[in-house]
Amino acid sequence: MDLDLTAEQKLIQETARDFARAELEPVAAQLDQGDDRTPFLANLKKLAELGFMGLNVKECYGGSEAGVIAFSVAMTEIARSCASTAVTLSVNNMVCEVIQAVGSEEQKRAYIPRICSGDYAAGSFALTESGAGSDPSGMTTQAVADGDGFVLNGAKLFITSAPYAGLFVVWAVTDREAPKGKGISCFLVEAGSPGLIIGREEKKMGQHASATNELLFDNCRVPATALMGRLNDGFRIAVGELAGGRIGIGSLGLGIGLAAMEYATRYATQRSQFGQKISGFQALQWIIADSFTELEAARLLLMNAAFKKEQGKPFGKEASMAKLYATEAANRACYAATQLLGGYGYTRDFPVERYTRDARICTIYEGTSEIQRLIIAREILRTFS
Amino acid sequence: MKILVCIKQVPDLESRFKPNGSKLWYDEADLAFRMNEYDEYAVEQAVRLREQLGDAADVTVLSIGPDRVGEALKKAMAMGCDRAVHIADPDALLRDPWQIASIIASFAGGRGFDLIFTGMQSQDRGSAQVGVLVAELLGISCSTTLVGFACDGEYVIAKRELEGGIKGVVKLRLPALVTCQLGLNVPRYPTLPNIMKAKRKELLVIPVAELLATGPVAATVSFHPPMRKGSGMVLEGDVSTLVEQVIGILKEKTAVLR
Repeated sequence: MDLDLTAEQKLIQETARDFARAELEPVAAQLDQGDDRTPFLANLKKLAELGFMGLNVKECYGGSEAGVIAFSVAMTEIARSCASTAVTLSVNNMVCEVIQAVGSEEQKRAYIPRICSGDYAAGSFALTESGAGSDPSGMTTQAVADGDGFVLNGAKLFITSAPYAGLFVVWAVTDREAPKGKGISCFLVEAGSPGLIIGREEKKMGQHASATNELLFDNCRVPATALMGRLNDGFRIAVGELAGGRIGIGSLGLGIGLAAMEYATRYATQRSQFGQKISGFQALQWIIADSFTELEAARLLLMNAAFKKEQGKPFGKEASMAKLYATEAANRACYAATQLLGGYGYTRDFPVERYTRDARICTIYEGTSEIQRLIIAREILRTFS
Repeated sequence: MKILVCIKQVPDLESRFKPNGSKLWYDEADLAFRMNEYDEYAVEQAVRLREQLGDAADVTVLSIGPDRVGEALKKAMAMGCDRAVHIADPDALLRDPWQIASIIASFAGGRGFDLIFTGMQSQDRGSAQVGVLVAELLGISCSTTLVGFACDGEYVIAKRELEGGIKGVVKLRLPALVTCQLGLNVPRYPTLPNIMKAKRKELLVIPVAELLATGPVAATVSFHPPMRKGSGMVLEGDVSTLVEQVIGILKEKTAVLR
């Protein structure tokens, strides 16, 4: 049993932290308030060049081969400074990993290096639809075999990075007669494909720099080589890969929670009321103690899930536990941090307000807390029946 | 060209420092360590020269300290140094600059290094003596506080920072040692693939006993935080008398008014 990071993991954590403080933090508030994504995209390119887009991807495909624990600690450090950058990193890594897991050799060589190098600013994961969120098997986007390829029609919703993604991993129904979830296939669709339309951008509560768009398929024709994995086997791929993404989003939540509580705790040691620093009041000490205890528990759950995945062991339940707990703890930490700052915490002059908005989506995307509980309960009950 | 870079691992300066049990240095518990910032500039300059010269150059990075300095050495290798030497010494932080310089000179002597880079000083002890002492012990030329660097393989052209914003330019014949000031360059972030590849580079461990043959020439007698400043003066009363009071204080206690 060794709970210490290796020298390499520590160096990756340090590099992520140094980069985040020097490059991401100075522009995070401006990106939150403005419409100009230029610095955001420039930083994504720099992060790609440093190797952050394929942390758990093999070197031969342009990845860093640094493992899942390194991915988790890097995500947390990036998210401390900019949640929008962190979510883009998480999705890019997930897209690389899904192609590495199920793509053909040609697909791996064609696409993974482009995301890892920053040639593509991002990759997108196009699963959700307006009527298929927590229940993605209810999707209606269709792909019909036609000559030497497929024709896609339908609409996806809430697609991260859509306007600047170079590649979309798209799920579509290929067998309408099959039982639910059994007739779905997975496709790799390049940006600019005829009939692929980037739709309306959502006006969100937080994580503003990261674009979230509708994605439309209007007779979008893709070649037969766009099919990834076996025909009608796509749903299993999606469910499997989302588990890895949950470690990413849990780690992201942890980063926001830590940022909020570190800011608020420093504030509490400087702010005086009733003739003393407010950190001297036991009522506030308990808030600080509880929040940091929860964030430490979140970190350990994440490390456990990441360790299991890195060891090649089953990690679905652990990833769901870590995602559930870390993202909920992050929201509680932001609530606590706002309370510590009082009225100032509610203003945009202090970053806790942004952290609070950025954290809120974390219990929703990449599987809601309720879906995580379903997965966890299912795995536990399986061992009792 | 054989290049040596000497680096130190120091506590993150954002840490809270408290004296250790002997009250002669800081307590290391709970501190996070990283490469001395000045040394990052030294590593960067050495790696740039390595890139300029190609395989004709070989960069060794050296650090003295306990096991944890392996992390700083790996970072230097991830930034582009070819190999590392870890002089294993659990007591390195307590040694005076003379002993540290002696250890380095003892290692470097006879190994034919053409150029040695060090940081101008460490962020913790801040003596700024180790680099110049190593040069003296090895009998090679030396220039300090570099803000500009060029090397043609025979000479180093060093731009130095002097007081008051004035710069000076020095030409040194190799072999030479230079100490690097902040701002000399922009140290690179190590890329993640290079961090992973650094694992496969040579890391030689030498026990300090094989290199240390001299005692200290200076001893730390006390380590303590600065005295707490008294609270400021608060002047009260009518504006006209306040102005007079302020002028009086400025004349009496400062050089602002005479």
